[in-house]
Amino acid sequence: MKIRKSISASAIGLLFGSFMLLSPAVAQDNPTLSDAEVAHTAVTANQIDIDYAKIAQERSKDAEVLKFAETMASDHKAVIDQAVALVTKLGVTPEVNAVSKQLLSDAEKTKEMLRTKTGAAFNKAYIDNEVAYHKAVIAAVEGLLIPESENAELKSLLESIVPALQAHLEHAQMVQKDLNGK
Amino acid sequence: MKRLKPWLLPTGLYLLCLFLSGATSPPVSPKVHTVEISRMQFNPQVLVVSMGDTIEFVNKDMVTHDVTESSGKSWKSPALASGAKWRLVARKTADYYCSYHPVMKGKIEVK
Ligand SMILES: [Cu+2]
Repeated sequence: MKIRKSISASAIGLLFGSFMLLSPAVAQDNPTLSDAEVAHTAVTANQIDIDYAKIAQERSKDAEVLKFAETMASDHKAVIDQAVALVTKLGVTPEVNAVSKQLLSDAEKTKEMLRTKTGAAFNKAYIDNEVAYHKAVIAAVEGLLIPESENAELKSLLESIVPALQAHLEHAQMVQKDLNGK
Repeated sequence: MKRLKPWLLPTGLYLLCLFLSGATSPPVSPKVHTVEISRMQFNPQVLVVSMGDTIEFVNKDMVTHDVTESSGKSWKSPALASGAKWRLVARKTADYYCSYHPVMKGKIEVK
């Protein structure tokens, strides 16, 4: 259970932006996540952002925020569809693991927080979280999921989603700036 | 009535030939250029074309994009799902972006 524990600590660490400092276990080259676990983590991370987008579509009336949420829902679904198609082709069944569990439990708290907010406070909370979440996911994909992937196609799929995550982050920062000016 | 001056005839024929050759010689045919949308970028980001050339946008990403003229008043492609193509005839220089991902920008320069 020592390995599991260190992955969980890493997941928490990366979500607070100090991933590289807190995760010596992941920096080592022996894999700690199987491809089935990498796939589950990737799908979970994408599904969480779709869930956040749905909350925004229910609670926001701001055109820019709604347009951003629509893009998140559509893009992260496209990524999940690709991931599901790949694991189906490879005959891999995504497996729940410490990292995906940690992502889900953190997301539950964030969703609860978002549901307490309305109006401008909601827009700000949603977009601030999108900025932080995309930073954390980029760090997790680059620093954990890509190095942990053994299958070349899985690795290449994960590499191909980084530019989209980066564009989402920049888009979120743009909306954040606009909201601060309102 | 005055008679036509004989020296006018060759000149007239010459001008007629010049006019006909101008009208029948093949015009410079419009080219088709490709802008590839991949890794969340328009490639090439700045495309120089001649008036009347066609630009074909091809979406090679897994996510949906579009091509929207920046003023919002001139032209806009429909949503381009993964693998979709869309053609535009270049009439004037324009900046454009993707309305789904406004950080994605490009430019068409008509010479
Ligand atoms: Cu786009």
